[in-house]
Amino acid sequence: MSHAAISTHAELDPRLAPPFPKAVLPVLRNPQLRKNVAHAIDVIQAKRAKLVAEKSDWQDLRTAASELRMHALENLGAYLEEFEVRCTAAGGTVHWAADAEEARRIILGLLRQENASEVIKIKTMTSGEIQLNPFLEANGVNAFETDLAEIILQLGELEPSHIVVPALHVNRSQVREIFARRMGRPELSDDPKELTNAARTFLRQKFLSIPTAISGANFLIAETGAVGVVESEGNGRMCLTLPKTMITLAGIEKVLPRFQDLEVTLQLLGRSATGERMNPYTSIWTGVKPGDGPQKFHVVLLDNGRSSILARKTERQTLKCIRCAACMNTCPVYRQTGGHAYGSVYPGPIGAILTPQLMQMKHAQTLPYASSLCGACYEVCPVKINIPQVLLELRSQVVNQERKEAGRIFDPMYLGLRAANLLFARAWIFHTAQWFGKVGLKLFTGKDGWIHWLPSMGGRWTQTRDLRGLPDENFHQWWAKQRGQNKRKEAK
Amino acid sequence: MRASLFITCYNDTLYPETGRAVVRLLERLGVELEFNPKQTCCGQMHANTGFRAEAFSQAKRLVRLYNDAEIVVVPSSSCVAMMREQYPGLIEEMGNAELLKQYTELMPRVFELSEFLIDKLGVEDVGAYFPHRVTYHASCHGLRALELGERPYKLLAKVRGLSFKQLPNTDRCCGFGGTFSVKNAEVSSAMLAVKLQDVISTGAEYCTALDNSCLMHLGGAMHRQYAGMKTIHMAQILASTNETPAEATL
Amino acid sequence: MNSTAPSRERILTSIRNATKDIAVNPADRAAAYATLPRNYIRRGKMNTEAKLALLIERLREYDAEVVETTPAELPAVIKAQLTASGRHYFLAPEGLPSAWMASGFDWKIDRNLETAEIEKAEGVVTAASCGIADSGTIVLHHAANEGRRVVTLLPDWHLLILLASQVVETLPEYFDRCKQSLGIPHLATYISGPSATADIEMTRIKGVHGPRYLAVILVHD
Repeated sequence: MSHAAISTHAELDPRLAPPFPKAVLPVLRNPQLRKNVAHAIDVIQAKRAKLVAEKSDWQDLRTAASELRMHALENLGAYLEEFEVRCTAAGGTVHWAADAEEARRIILGLLRQENASEVIKIKTMTSGEIQLNPFLEANGVNAFETDLAEIILQLGELEPSHIVVPALHVNRSQVREIFARRMGRPELSDDPKELTNAARTFLRQKFLSIPTAISGANFLIAETGAVGVVESEGNGRMCLTLPKTMITLAGIEKVLPRFQDLEVTLQLLGRSATGERMNPYTSIWTGVKPGDGPQKFHVVLLDNGRSSILARKTERQTLKCIRCAACMNTCPVYRQTGGHAYGSVYPGPIGAILTPQLMQMKHAQTLPYASSLCGACYEVCPVKINIPQVLLELRSQVVNQERKEAGRIFDPMYLGLRAANLLFARAWIFHTAQWFGKVGLKLFTGKDGWIHWLPSMGGRWTQTRDLRGLPDENFHQWWAKQRGQNKRKEAK
Repeated sequence: MRASLFITCYNDTLYPETGRAVVRLLERLGVELEFNPKQTCCGQMHANTGFRAEAFSQAKRLVRLYNDAEIVVVPSSSCVAMMREQYPGLIEEMGNAELLKQYTELMPRVFELSEFLIDKLGVEDVGAYFPHRVTYHASCHGLRALELGERPYKLLAKVRGLSFKQLPNTDRCCGFGGTFSVKNAEVSSAMLAVKLQDVISTGAEYCTALDNSCLMHLGGAMHRQYAGMKTIHMAQILASTNETPAEATL
Repeated sequence: MNSTAPSRERILTSIRNATKDIAVNPADRAAAYATLPRNYIRRGKMNTEAKLALLIERLREYDAEVVETTPAELPAVIKAQLTASGRHYFLAPEGLPSAWMASGFDWKIDRNLETAEIEKAEGVVTAASCGIADSGTIVLHHAANEGRRVVTLLPDWHLLILLASQVVETLPEYFDRCKQSLGIPHLATYISGPSATADIEMTRIKGVHGPRYLAVILVHD
């Protein structure tokens, strides 16, 4: 059975992705996709809600986790250095990658050291962030994803749309078609159990034969130099037990001070991510253990913009994230758009704040606006990231950038808001503007007193909504008329 | 008791009947009302769209305006949320110690309408009569920022003649989100479509809320679609009596 | 020592500059860590009976087979489980008590077996380090009687012998145990049910990789 034809799925690249308002259009017109997303979200949310309700110390856990993660970030340098010392003492090798390009080079270099032309991977968004797979492909290394969802996406040449359930937008008959074609199993039915078994068989052969693996990390423990991976399927255990060489790519923000700190994060992660008290398998390993597992272990610590985020007071909290995806499961925007529209391996609310920042605010500037600021994400975030607060901060950065652009003075949004500011400065200007507005809008107001069409930005409203025409007498005019002479209106 | 009414820029311009209802309601309850004609806007639209520099002056102006007010009542939870959540950051950035002091002293005296009725006046039964089927939409600012909780439900429960219909998925955003409704008009409309399904499924005649912003969005779609349902700000329901029935918004 | 030394300096400098508004010395760091709020539940309130019942309930929710026994009955119960599995060829970790290796079956003791040999086994029998009732989690520290990680991964059937005295109610209690007696593990695997996926239309399917069948003997010691 030839696997040579397996190619990596397209990586979501924020530098190339269309702006959010455009990217959503094909999705919003796809009822199947919206239904799949809503269904997946409802399942996880219901499970999560049930478990949170039974945990009387849930809010205390959130507080502890938030403080703990912030403490780790505030002392990041010290904890990373401690991790490095311990991991090295235990037989691991620690590498530092300032950016994506360097991380890719380091990993390729390590693979070349092992003469590896193939590598098995445990799902890690960080590797998507650095666009690793296409780079390895281009340099003659086949990277095989081993998570079921990632296999579906890789074989089907599709893109992920969620952090925890990346293939939630793919239904069973689509999976059947992909497996039948790419695994050479035309006899497969679309029964999920049968499809899962097909994946089990297909992957087992890889686990047993490919001696090099790449993983991410859910957490790094400074105190012991340990690395931890949290998973459901067991492919993680396969990848970190069977191969001879293990490479772990981890964002620098993943470090926790002590082993004991897992007692907080592990209680929150499973419940938040998949609605389970604990995910099926959590693996912790420290460096290298003679006779047990990979004898060569490398950790590649990745900055790629994180230390810049760390420098900013309000935005620093973005790095507390433990990648549970509870925010996107609860987000009413995500519910309608799915993940692709965010153009990044990090979608949803966390993606809306993390992606533009990792891009140093040079790309993905529409993402901070991909939110109605409803605050549902903040309510469920296990580490209490005030996502709306960060969104607002990033919006003001985007505006400050855009203000400097020459053409912006003609942008209707800029014109409108600049004008609004002037008229709010004085009541008389505001009142005059109200009068002009009332008169101007009369042009568009129908006999029923409603506006059905407006030009320019107003037209974005009237696409789907009517607007009641401005009343002849506004409130302050009514008040002045009624009360101007201190006349008291009889209360009934 | 004396209270100063901050009507909000959009209620003044678009929904004066809500303001009139607040006046009728509060005076019926024995509150002596003032209205400072210098008021304009709290700055939320600017702050939320990223125009922070513009929001500074609006925040300063508003705080100064109500410096001497005993109590400020606001029939809009998003504006109160703006004042409670974003003003501290804005004022700190302005580095104006006197303004910060004024702000800190003012905020405990600022109430959203339902907060004023329940917490300050201590009433649930405001003597209202509104014989219609009504569902309540919990706008996000009221729900999460102000944690209004049971207050609106308690008030509606005491309205004579009112038949209350619980809205399903009550904590899901309607999709208005301020300038989001035009910057991401399509997503906003998709969220609206989903929300409208829930609202209409209640079989109510009216959808009410404590924010005309959400109602403008919901009501605008209802009107466009001939949905056979109307929106009405809760102040108008609470002000409604047998002798003086509510002015409908739609 | 390795070629990323320049980047290391750059990154650490960048971090140092980013956090200079908080600059903390080691003593203050330790104090800050020690005073982090931890008002969540650490110790459970259940008595032993309730705690064990909860663990069993959780394990059964995961479709694990659970039987209870006493130390005296243990070898017989093990034999019964092995028989009931319908399998013959079992792996045993190097440190597994010989009394647990019931007669009438083919045993292979894992003394650094080749993966190909391990693949041939139909099942494995091991001890465990801890059981956490709240989440139904079995903890392996991969000690001599628990086996190398590969032996509890490749075989399709896993029989675990857990002592009642090894069971705690909450996750924080497990971490306390590590501090008090177990030690912080070099290697650990926390098992909370068989592997599972919900990747296809959110339909939960059990048994992707790793043992699809888990049996637990709870010994009331």
